[in-house]
Amino acid sequence: MSQNALETGTAEADVDTDSHQDSDVMVEIRDLRTYYEGDGLLGGTPVKAVDGVSFDIKRGETLGLVGESGCGKSTLGRTLIQLESATGGEIRFDGTDITTLSGADLKDWRRNAQMVFQDPDSSLNDRMTIGEIVREPLDVHSWKTPRERRQHVKELLDTVGLQREHYYRYPHQFSGGQRQRIGIARTLTLEPEFIVLDEPVSALDVSVQAEVINLLEDLQEEFGLTYLFIAHDLSVVRHICDRVAVMYLGNIMEIGPTEELFSNPANPYTHSLLSAIPEPDPTAHKDRITLQGTPPSPRFPPSGCPFSTRCPARIRPPEYQDLDNELWHQLDTLREVLRERDRTEKTVTDRIRELLGKEPHFGTIDEIYAELFDDQEVPPAVEEVLDDAAELARGGNEQAALDLLGAEFGSVCEGHVPDGANEANDTDAEESVEPDYHVVSPSGRRSLCHRHDADADYRKPEHVLDDRHR
Amino acid sequence: MSMNEFDDMRLRDRIAANPRPALFWLVGALVLIALELGRIADGVLRLGGAMGLMVDMVVTIPSSVRGAVASSFGTGAGIAAFVVTAFILLGIVAIIVKWLFIPWSLVDRLGIDVSTGREDILERLLVTGLLAIVAAALVWTPVGGLFEMLIGVLTRGVEAVGSLTTITSREIIPNQGYQLPDGSWEGTFLGLSPAWAWALRVLVVYAYALTWLAWLWKGYEIFREHYREADWTPRDDSINRLRTHYWGVFGFVVVFMFVVMALWAPAVSPVTAEKNLYSPYEHEIQYQGDDGVESITHGDANMNSRSRGGDQNVGLMSYDDYDRFHPFGTNADGKDLFTFLAYGAQVSLVIGLLATVLMAVIATVLALITAYYKGVADLLAIIASDSVIALPRLLLVLLLSVLFMQANHPIAEIYNGGLLLALIFAGTGWPLLWRSVRGPALQVSEQEWIDAAKSYGQSPTATMRKHMSPYIAGYMLIYASLSLGGVIIGVAALSFLGFGVQAPTPEWGRAVFEGKSFVSTSSWHVATLPGLLVVFLVTGFNALGDGIRDAIDPQSDSGDGSAAAATGGGG
Repeated sequence: MSQNALETGTAEADVDTDSHQDSDVMVEIRDLRTYYEGDGLLGGTPVKAVDGVSFDIKRGETLGLVGESGCGKSTLGRTLIQLESATGGEIRFDGTDITTLSGADLKDWRRNAQMVFQDPDSSLNDRMTIGEIVREPLDVHSWKTPRERRQHVKELLDTVGLQREHYYRYPHQFSGGQRQRIGIARTLTLEPEFIVLDEPVSALDVSVQAEVINLLEDLQEEFGLTYLFIAHDLSVVRHICDRVAVMYLGNIMEIGPTEELFSNPANPYTHSLLSAIPEPDPTAHKDRITLQGTPPSPRFPPSGCPFSTRCPARIRPPEYQDLDNELWHQLDTLREVLRERDRTEKTVTDRIRELLGKEPHFGTIDEIYAELFDDQEVPPAVEEVLDDAAELARGGNEQAALDLLGAEFGSVCEGHVPDGANEANDTDAEESVEPDYHVVSPSGRRSLCHRHDADADYRKPEHVLDDRHR
Repeated sequence: MSMNEFDDMRLRDRIAANPRPALFWLVGALVLIALELGRIADGVLRLGGAMGLMVDMVVTIPSSVRGAVASSFGTGAGIAAFVVTAFILLGIVAIIVKWLFIPWSLVDRLGIDVSTGREDILERLLVTGLLAIVAAALVWTPVGGLFEMLIGVLTRGVEAVGSLTTITSREIIPNQGYQLPDGSWEGTFLGLSPAWAWALRVLVVYAYALTWLAWLWKGYEIFREHYREADWTPRDDSINRLRTHYWGVFGFVVVFMFVVMALWAPAVSPVTAEKNLYSPYEHEIQYQGDDGVESITHGDANMNSRSRGGDQNVGLMSYDDYDRFHPFGTNADGKDLFTFLAYGAQVSLVIGLLATVLMAVIATVLALITAYYKGVADLLAIIASDSVIALPRLLLVLLLSVLFMQANHPIAEIYNGGLLLALIFAGTGWPLLWRSVRGPALQVSEQEWIDAAKSYGQSPTATMRKHMSPYIAGYMLIYASLSLGGVIIGVAALSFLGFGVQAPTPEWGRAVFEGKSFVSTSSWHVATLPGLLVVFLVTGFNALGDGIRDAIDPQSDSGDGSAAAATGGGG
């Protein structure tokens, strides 16, 4: 889902006003895309791991990057330090676009940006001593003399809370927390300004996590480091980060100051993500927003808003405004089921059953309908659409059924052009509409959702969620 | 902190700080070297000769290419081909020279500023240019003559050293003599019987080799105790595990005995190969005949002591009519079987090692490259290796060796076809080795430390060398030692079929071939003993490979050991 020129323009304009407010921007990321090519030699549809993100990282801050597994946050981090090459877009590091660097320039630049890896068992080469491991970056960049390198490494071991004598030990003689400290020492050897922390504590014991987090904070203070902190543990993020970016399916849904984002989220996805944090107080009353279905495949993201297939606050078409919430839920479930059916590869036995007129394994449409709508009051208009869709689905054409349902019950969220604009701009009718980033607070917090659009008269997400889920 | 001071020293500094243990060991080593200086110098001379031969061959390549091209495309094309070929060869040599002898960067010294990728290429071009200048100087200026003179002087010097007697030489412990009518022996060591003199010499050889082994172990212990930085390394555990792995120790003992037999073949054999095998009619022996002491050539004596079954037999541990002792009897031509086998061990060892090392190098490099880059590189390697594996190996080997030998290709002349066999076995064997280490290589390439190395700008070659190769080296060692047995069996099989190493160069397979018609007669030993030795040796290599595998990787305990041994043994 590549953003069209107009929207990219507005997004950039937003970010640019941001950067004017705070001139000390270290990394500027503009419409960054990282796609993984298909497995076959001839390509195929790429996996869109990072699909057009734009944000800034300010000097000296800790920017958190959260999202569920597989949303592309690790890929984004790896692209930032050029472990993956970007498919498109720019990463301007102090003004230089590093996606265009190669050879000696790239090697030189690498001194500025380093990475702490997730798994301390896998990030240290077991056949080398701690000293060799930590010293290697210095050797690679021919830093001063070997004697000074050894000295420097020993000082670093001191800095990260290990002992100088550990220089000659091997990694397997250390615990997970100590190994992570060694990994941190290695990233510090070249004195980088920017460090990507890829879930640095998620593989550690809870008791050790706090120690490593504190160490990272101390180091940031001592060396004036800038962190990109990738995590899925939201409480850790809340503790350590100055700003947070929430990612979903290769897109940034919301980005802004941590406290504000946690206490008063704007984007529906942030709402549902935060509602998943367990509350330590067992008496506290809390409504968890459970998302429907599974995340879509990043190979075939939905058109329109990336979150549209699961959004709990999706905009509903005005003509069905007065439908019951319960019925909406069932309609969404039906579309999810159809999508799943469409995505499922049919096995040979399934095809044979189909040919013989028997039911496929995953139940007939009638069964599904019975389960979903039997105890619902379905208005005649909806009933009619549902019957047509059922007819299509029975013929094995799930995609057509989905299109029909989408046309009837879909909205701007799924890329359908709102009725008013349809005639005015006929040529764009085929083009799907995508949401824009909207500034949602004075601090410059941005969120990707149609509901923030001041021109259109949508209700705020939090109100919708209150209505629908509480 | 004193610990810190100690830490910052290199091995050389640490030895300088505490030289006594190192000196002690060094003196012992020098004494051991001095005892066998002549033989060592001899070995160096032979190695130098082989290398000289190879250099000569390589040097003629550009000219022969020019000749071939000029005859079909004209003189201009010929000269161009000459230049291109010479440049490619110099380039290959330059990579080796740079790797071995030039630790610093010429590009940096000259202050040329280029990007990293081009730096390596430029560096190699510079070295190639320097080599070209040296080569031109050698060919067209008096420097060449000077160089040749220098080599000559050096060779004569080493030759002089080589003529020194050693404790294992047959001049010190002679075992060739004749028995006087009164039963005493003339010409042997201290008047002992030839059997005892020979046994004594073999004993001295093995004692000497064992002393070396013990001394090297002592050296390792001294290093560990006095000079090593770390108190403990994973290798210590590996060595301890190997020491208590009795199957592996058995393999080590067998391989050690075999290697010593090959290295000291002239000493452990009752008679030299030159006299007995290669030119038997040019050397004479003395024996006690009917009319006192008489002389006879080795060849004539051999003719009368052949083992061809029935009455014509010189069996195990027996003397022939000319007072010569034959520990393993004689073969069908009357030649001493033990001598034949000892020198044959040399041939087997050279071919086996050469083929295995070549195979292992190809497989390792390929495994590293395919695992690091994956994608197209991997696919190409898979296609290439599958194409080779698809052909039955022994048939392919047979075809190639017959082809080259019939064509009288110059390679087939070297070492009586030995080099050719090694190359053929390496060329057909690498896919199996590559396949065995591909999995481990892919596995290690997924580790995060590879990403980490990339993130601070480590070059791909250095990453492969430092972060990947140690993890497949263990596997490679095991599979290589297993396939070494396969190569030895393969060479023996080829020679048995008559297509391997040609006469008169001794080879175990040919010994079996020549004795096969006497297996059911009194001369059973001619074919049986070499056959048993092959079985024994290959078992030994497999056992050693098992032992090393279990020592390096305790998790992979012998559960699948038999399967690996079975696949490795199939030559």
